[in-house]
Amino acid sequence: MPRLDADRALVEAAAGGDRDAFDELIRRHESAILGLCRALSGGSADAEDLAQEVFVRAWKSLRTFRGDSAFRTWLHRVAINVARTHHASRGKIMRLFRPVSPRDEDPPDAVEPIDTRLARRDIVERALATLPDELREAITLRDLQGLEYREIAALLDVPIGTVESRIFRARQRLRPLLAPLLDRPVTS
Amino acid sequence: MLDGERRAMLDAHLAVCGACRASLGDQIAVRAWLTNTPDACVPDGFRDRVRARIEKDEGVFGVADFRLWTLRLAPLAALLALAACLGLGAKPSGALTGATTVAAASTGFSPSRVVDWERTVSGDALLEAALFPSQAGAADVR
Repeated sequence: MPRLDADRALVEAAAGGDRDAFDELIRRHESAILGLCRALSGGSADAEDLAQEVFVRAWKSLRTFRGDSAFRTWLHRVAINVARTHHASRGKIMRLFRPVSPRDEDPPDAVEPIDTRLARRDIVERALATLPDELREAITLRDLQGLEYREIAALLDVPIGTVESRIFRARQRLRPLLAPLLDRPVTS
Repeated sequence: MLDGERRAMLDAHLAVCGACRASLGDQIAVRAWLTNTPDACVPDGFRDRVRARIEKDEGVFGVADFRLWTLRLAPLAALLALAACLGLGAKPSGALTGATTVAAASTGFSPSRVVDWERTVSGDALLEAALFPSQAGAADVR
């Protein structure tokens, strides 16, 4: 049985052209979408642009949202599409010719101070940036965004078993990158 | 989620397999860290910039957006369709042109059939009327 979507009334109002309702939807989801865009783009400076694009596209296609999933899930799908389009447009050739920056060379534990919230997020984003796209998407949706496996499977259009496998492999790859942090207790 | 039986099997295996125990520990540790990653800071004015982009897009492309026009013109289209169904603005059946009247008379078609027929063969009807002016209605064809 589908859960009640807390955004439903706002979505209906926004689909009818209510800008204030859409503003409220942005307010509710901006942090998650911005975080998702940052994670999917490897902490790139384009992340805010991508997040803006997500909401612009959402506004344009809100009338096509049928409510089959929660608005939040649908918004994540829009974000993944935006990030993939952006990634494809940049082209892999750009990565080949990108100069290696100190940021690429530094291991995560070289950043100080690691106890600050911003630094912690930065380390996580940098670690995620080392993953292949398919692993990064899956683990971001699961561990950072908190989506259920079945939601992720639907978003990525792959079987749940594939999602589980990708998340498992992603965590395996992240383990050595986060090793210095993992010895510390997690503080929120 | 594992059911009771599978969970018991897993626990039994973990009790004797150090490698799997370590692997599971890594999975749990990484997940805990990622789950507790602080939320992304939203830059000031983010919503304003989104709104500005929406307004800019709608200002530039809104006029050309057929979906917007489709929605805006839908009530008018419905009204016109309703008017067409009710027959508003249609010619009354008695107001057929002279040529059509002649054609109808010469072929025995009912007026309702003539309305369609008129579009394709009214030229023939005119010719017939010109060739046989003595027939009724021919005077109308001039």
